[in-house]
Amino acid sequence: MGLLTQPRRRWRSEPAEKEPDERQVIATRIWVLRGVILLVFIALAAQLANLQLVRGHSYEQRAQLNQLRIEPVIPSRGLIYDRNGVPLVENVPSFAAAVVAADVPKDRELEIAAGVERLLGIPPLETVLRLEEARSSKDPFAPIVLKEGLDQADAFHLREQLAALPGVQILVESVRRYPQGAAVADVVGYMGRVDEEDYAALKDKGYIASDRIGKAGVEAAYENYLRGVPGRKEIEKDASGREIRTLAEDAPKPGNDLVLSLDLDLQKKAQEFVTQAARGGQGAAVVMDVHTGEVLALVSLPTYDNNIFSGKIDEARLQQYLDDPKKPLVNHALSEQYAPGSIFKQITGAAALQEGVASPSTTITSTGAIQVPNEYDPSVVYTFKDWRALGTLNFYGGVAMSSDVYFYYLAGGYHAYGNNFNGLGIERLARYARQFGLGRPTGIDIAGEADGIVPDPDWKKRTFGDDWFLGDTYNMGIGQGFLAVTPVQMVRVTAAVANGGTLLRPHVLREVRDAKGNVVVPPGPRVEGNVGVSDENLAIMREAMRQAVSWGSASQGAVRDVSVAGKTGTAEFGPRFADGSYETHAWFSGFAPADDPQIAITVFLERGVGAIDAAPLAARILDYYFHRPQQRAQSDAAAPTGVMP
Amino acid sequence: MNWRTTPTREFDFLLLASALALTAYGALLIYSGSLTTYGSPGQALSHPVSRQLAFAAIGLACMVAISRVDYRLLGPLSLTLYVVSIAALVFVFAVGASAYGSRRWILVAGTQVQPSEVAKIATVIMLAKFFADNEQRMRSLRVFVTSLAIAGLPALLVLIEPDLGSALVFGVIWLAMAVIAGVRPLHFAALMTLALALAPGALYAIAHDYQKERIDVWLDPNKDPLGTGFNILQAEISIGSGGLLGKGFTHGTQTQLDYLRTQTTDYIFSVGAEELGFVGAMVLFGLFILLLFRCLRVANLADDAFGRLMATGVVAFILFQVFVNIGVNIRLVPVTGVPLPLVSQGGSSLITVLLSLGIVQSVLGHRRRRGPHRI
Repeated sequence: MGLLTQPRRRWRSEPAEKEPDERQVIATRIWVLRGVILLVFIALAAQLANLQLVRGHSYEQRAQLNQLRIEPVIPSRGLIYDRNGVPLVENVPSFAAAVVAADVPKDRELEIAAGVERLLGIPPLETVLRLEEARSSKDPFAPIVLKEGLDQADAFHLREQLAALPGVQILVESVRRYPQGAAVADVVGYMGRVDEEDYAALKDKGYIASDRIGKAGVEAAYENYLRGVPGRKEIEKDASGREIRTLAEDAPKPGNDLVLSLDLDLQKKAQEFVTQAARGGQGAAVVMDVHTGEVLALVSLPTYDNNIFSGKIDEARLQQYLDDPKKPLVNHALSEQYAPGSIFKQITGAAALQEGVASPSTTITSTGAIQVPNEYDPSVVYTFKDWRALGTLNFYGGVAMSSDVYFYYLAGGYHAYGNNFNGLGIERLARYARQFGLGRPTGIDIAGEADGIVPDPDWKKRTFGDDWFLGDTYNMGIGQGFLAVTPVQMVRVTAAVANGGTLLRPHVLREVRDAKGNVVVPPGPRVEGNVGVSDENLAIMREAMRQAVSWGSASQGAVRDVSVAGKTGTAEFGPRFADGSYETHAWFSGFAPADDPQIAITVFLERGVGAIDAAPLAARILDYYFHRPQQRAQSDAAAPTGVMP
Repeated sequence: MNWRTTPTREFDFLLLASALALTAYGALLIYSGSLTTYGSPGQALSHPVSRQLAFAAIGLACMVAISRVDYRLLGPLSLTLYVVSIAALVFVFAVGASAYGSRRWILVAGTQVQPSEVAKIATVIMLAKFFADNEQRMRSLRVFVTSLAIAGLPALLVLIEPDLGSALVFGVIWLAMAVIAGVRPLHFAALMTLALALAPGALYAIAHDYQKERIDVWLDPNKDPLGTGFNILQAEISIGSGGLLGKGFTHGTQTQLDYLRTQTTDYIFSVGAEELGFVGAMVLFGLFILLLFRCLRVANLADDAFGRLMATGVVAFILFQVFVNIGVNIRLVPVTGVPLPLVSQGGSSLITVLLSLGIVQSVLGHRRRRGPHRI
């Protein structure tokens, strides 16, 4: 029996029988099956090896991406104070409901949209459409904000309810509130959500898709200081987007605080005075320290309330601002350019003194106009008017009375009818205008500055294809014609006259402090260069401007107990009326005290006359600046010492 | 004729060992795959691992019991078994419970039973009986067509559930058994030509929309990475990220953070590949190859066509399910819900497979000793 348990021996010993033949056939078929089995497993193993061994590394990374999300931790944004420590902005929490498309299971999309409708009142179709859109976008993990500006109680209530809605979350954001609103909106600016284009560039700097960024004013200019350094949080998430745990956190570094040079009291008063003088039109005023370039007040009218951009944008009011022909969102102190009129005579005069074209004793007689015959056809005579027949004037008188004829001579010279006075000529005039910083941005730390225009023959050829004539030089000499400036450009022209020729870079930032109150960037003058006019010559200009206020055309700019030096301007613009007159802008640009200059001021009114409207306005602002002992004492007491409140 | 009536009583312990090893392998993966839902194995009785082990015990008991019974007794029962399982398929279509859009199971004594699993084994027995009875007429077209119909009927019923994967299992069972039984190559060629001419278009035409979508997404899962393509992509990521040695048992991030769906049933292979790596998968392959080769050995040694064909049928349906299930996981095959034999969670499949292996053991153990000239 023992042998019989070895069945194979049997057919080996009977090869001739029919049965083994059949067995052989079957054995072959079974070998085929064995081959099929091996082939199947070889095929499976090959594909498996391809996935795990050949491409394993890339799948490993994808598994990591799946599970780990590195999320930026947004730092708390720096605050902004005026020069006396008065806060111009505060951070307040804002709650928003958002949804992450990648975390919404597709088969539960409708259920979740219905839940969102119940809790937030958003139509389900809208939710579904936005989910679909986000799914097909490049970043399905970016939260889509469904509803902004939830109040705190609602937000907490919602948070409990949302547990049943995977993918939906409550975002807590910090938004800006500007307690001073419109008073400083043109300086402080506002923030807005990062738009898609910006986001592409900002993503690597730790911004998130629903982030906000400074869009205007100091908020935009000093985004880098204010933003701080975002932290990073490495979190583990499961397939429905629930945070399982924080693996590592790199704490954010809070943004730095800005102390502005702005003097809130002065700013508010200046705005109030300009508002009264502008009578609903555009207006601007800039007050600057003549030694440091610190801007103490910067007014642009009409202005706007920057709080409408915080949290949920107030669309109705935004539209109102956008539709307003007076352009409240535009900064009229630096983004719009106008003809300067006679305040440009500061440059013509200083240049003429420096070039020896004029001296204090140069006398010129204004009979109310000068005639210039056409170069090629003397029978054609052009007339250039003065604003009045002012008689014979020396340099001081020419400036003080703002004689246009006097400055025609200085700018273009006068050689007709037996006269032989050599002027500056356009090349030199344009060069000095540029040396005084015109024709380019001043570099003030508020975004959106206009360049202005300093015309010359080249420029005219390029722009109009036309030749430069003597009349163009005359017009430019009195600040008319093609010349265009911004109020901020002119305040630094006046500051340069006042400080002995230093061309400053106006700025509203006084110093930067870190969150602990340490000064990171100290205050100090910011100098761009020198205007290229000697102090003796500028002293003559200063004296002339002092006389303009004490007895001349700018006498409305006088302030009790303070000697003011200044120059008015009345710049013609727009179409000519039937009587030959034009609409005029009113300007005043001056400094005080005249003998020891501290501040320069430039005011601009869209409609008016320099001597009548602008000079008194400047005087009111200067008066407030120099005569407010009690306020100053108060604000000095409140001055920041080390740590910000 | 004493030698013709004494069975060998041989029992293939290697076959048993490989089946038990695969079941244990599966239980471990089920444990790992259900950690997120069940936390710890604390909830003893309701825990999927306990349930799986209980089913394994039942299956094992069935296997041993069947192996002791002469498989020849199944011959007379084959028609009854077949008719009952066909009736069950019709029944499930009429009143069965639905999951993921198809009706696949009925409740028997509070347990979900998938009649298609039972039908597989009934069809194997029925086909084996039919081929064995017609051993001398294998060249007849009538035998060929009838055998095709025997496999085709349950396939059709399963197809309209709809469960394309299981329907194909019947086709493969028939194919393997017909080859071993020795049908005429000409008939095969004719059938293949016909099938190749009609199949792709016809399949696509009768396929349900969800099946079409599955094929489209299989070709490019990135079409819908967060919807239908999600499982395909996540399985691929799970497997690929496992690398050579895997991330360690219960340390698969994809599995433990729920990125992998149905991770104890259709996608259980991905759990193993992620946590145990290529090496772990090769161990699994080795166990399957051992199991299948031991079954083929029985087919080779079988006394008669009936036993041989049943062993072959069992090999065919196990092999095909392994191929389809793992193929889906590694994106070699479009998504079809076929369990991985012995490994996937689910009582019907586990018990059916163990029971089939019992039949194979019976074929091995009830051979008559031969070689009278030696006595």
